[in-house]
Amino acid sequence: MAIIGIGAVEVGRYPERRESDLALQVIRDALRDAQLSSKQVEGLFTTPDLQGNIGLQTNLLCEYLRISPKSMAEICCGAIAGGLTLKYAADEIQAGRIKTALCYGAVREASIGWFKNLSQGKGWAMIEPTALQPYAAYGIIWAYALSARRYMHETGATEEDFALAAVRNRKNAAGNPLAAFKKPIAVEDVLRSRYLSSPIKLLDAAASLDGAAAVVVASEDVARDLSPHPVYIQGWGLCHDNSCVIPTDDCSKSISHFTATREAARRAFQAAGVKPDDVDVAEIYAPFSSHELIIPEDIGWFENGEMVKAIRNGETDIGGKIPINTDGGLTSRGHPWAATPLYETISLVRQLRGAAGAIQVKDAKVGLMHCEGGMMNNGLVMIFGRG
Amino acid sequence: MTSKPNFLMPTNVESPSVSPFWEGLKTGRFLAPRCRDCGEIFFPPRSHCPECLGDVFTWEALSGKGYLYSWTELFFAQPEFDLPFLLGLVDLAEGIGRIAARISGATPEELSIGMPLEIRISNSGDGLALYYVEPFRIL
Repeated sequence: MAIIGIGAVEVGRYPERRESDLALQVIRDALRDAQLSSKQVEGLFTTPDLQGNIGLQTNLLCEYLRISPKSMAEICCGAIAGGLTLKYAADEIQAGRIKTALCYGAVREASIGWFKNLSQGKGWAMIEPTALQPYAAYGIIWAYALSARRYMHETGATEEDFALAAVRNRKNAAGNPLAAFKKPIAVEDVLRSRYLSSPIKLLDAAASLDGAAAVVVASEDVARDLSPHPVYIQGWGLCHDNSCVIPTDDCSKSISHFTATREAARRAFQAAGVKPDDVDVAEIYAPFSSHELIIPEDIGWFENGEMVKAIRNGETDIGGKIPINTDGGLTSRGHPWAATPLYETISLVRQLRGAAGAIQVKDAKVGLMHCEGGMMNNGLVMIFGRG
Repeated sequence: MTSKPNFLMPTNVESPSVSPFWEGLKTGRFLAPRCRDCGEIFFPPRSHCPECLGDVFTWEALSGKGYLYSWTELFFAQPEFDLPFLLGLVDLAEGIGRIAARISGATPEELSIGMPLEIRISNSGDGLALYYVEPFRIL
């Protein structure tokens, strides 16, 4: 399977635009990039339509696009959703059921504010509030903060080390036309920003913003016919660690390193037949700067605690040992959560086409996309290769 | 505890299958279910045993002690909360699970990972008993 088309709007705020308008724009751009007619689309996979509740977004897109897919689904599972649209498209193509698929994801968080209604959702209603009892505040910043603090305790990482990752992301975002935050920041700016949930501060955190993105996936024969620069999906791995958000049912479960990320990465490397050191560029799903240190250790580029030194030495910068989040990452590209994995994928496709401009990693051949759901409980890692 | 209730509860507190846990808190006991089918004692309490999916339990009192696994000071929450407040992730002394609980009676400077804590029970004022933790001090 190969990715042959990409389209996205700049991450930001679009209160004046209907989602159908944004959807048709990014899907048109992705189809044109793929040189594929909408009539040739055989599969349609989307992130959830959380305002609609009845899951008819995909059906509506079929009418607006005048397409009749053989395979379609609206896919959720938390913020991993955008990554799963790619996985299920690739699965269907690999099984021979379809030859082309359109993956679409969007979030209208800044404009509509889905998180405000979080406590009324089904997932929340299913939680027996006996362990994460009464003190769960907005979102899950506190859960990531507990994870960050534990990582500091185990490795000696400091808040300044986390700030270095936020600064790296901001520097990279300046070269990404889709990024929301491009104004340069220094370590002192991060350290002086207000605490949200210690040790996490405002500039360590990803802003939940609007975004819409589309990716066209095709079988290898279609990709070869149509695309001057296909990016192959070489393998993927998925793992759920049987926890929901912070693990409370077992004292041996770590919150400074995550089984789901480790297993997903191991399975992805095995499926793709590559090693961590073969990866030239990576986009990882770190909603907070602390997890810019944790995730690379779980994926396997560094041993536990080694990212502290690596971030200080710029080993994850463009030109370093393993360039990570060259497009600004979640903290500076902005975080339309369900669509974020598609934004990561688009950045990697640009890198592997050699079309990433100012943030281009020289001669990038292998890219890695990591995304997650829950608090790193669900991990998906995909390996992409230049055509 | 502080003047505001400092909790925001999901909708199913009265879930009948775990009501012995909440009833236990009202009488000052911190209970965990033991599955009558497979003998597993587990935490947090749920409607079915996570090991064998049995749904008949005996309820055993835990020591009410634990160890601080990690903590955060929250400066950002719904209007129902007094800010800032300390939240701890606490390993139960029995090693069967963890709770995320408000930490009372300590400043951030007084916290250290691994320190012993004691589970305390407070009344929220609307008939609901809640737990929080305090540093364990030998009298």
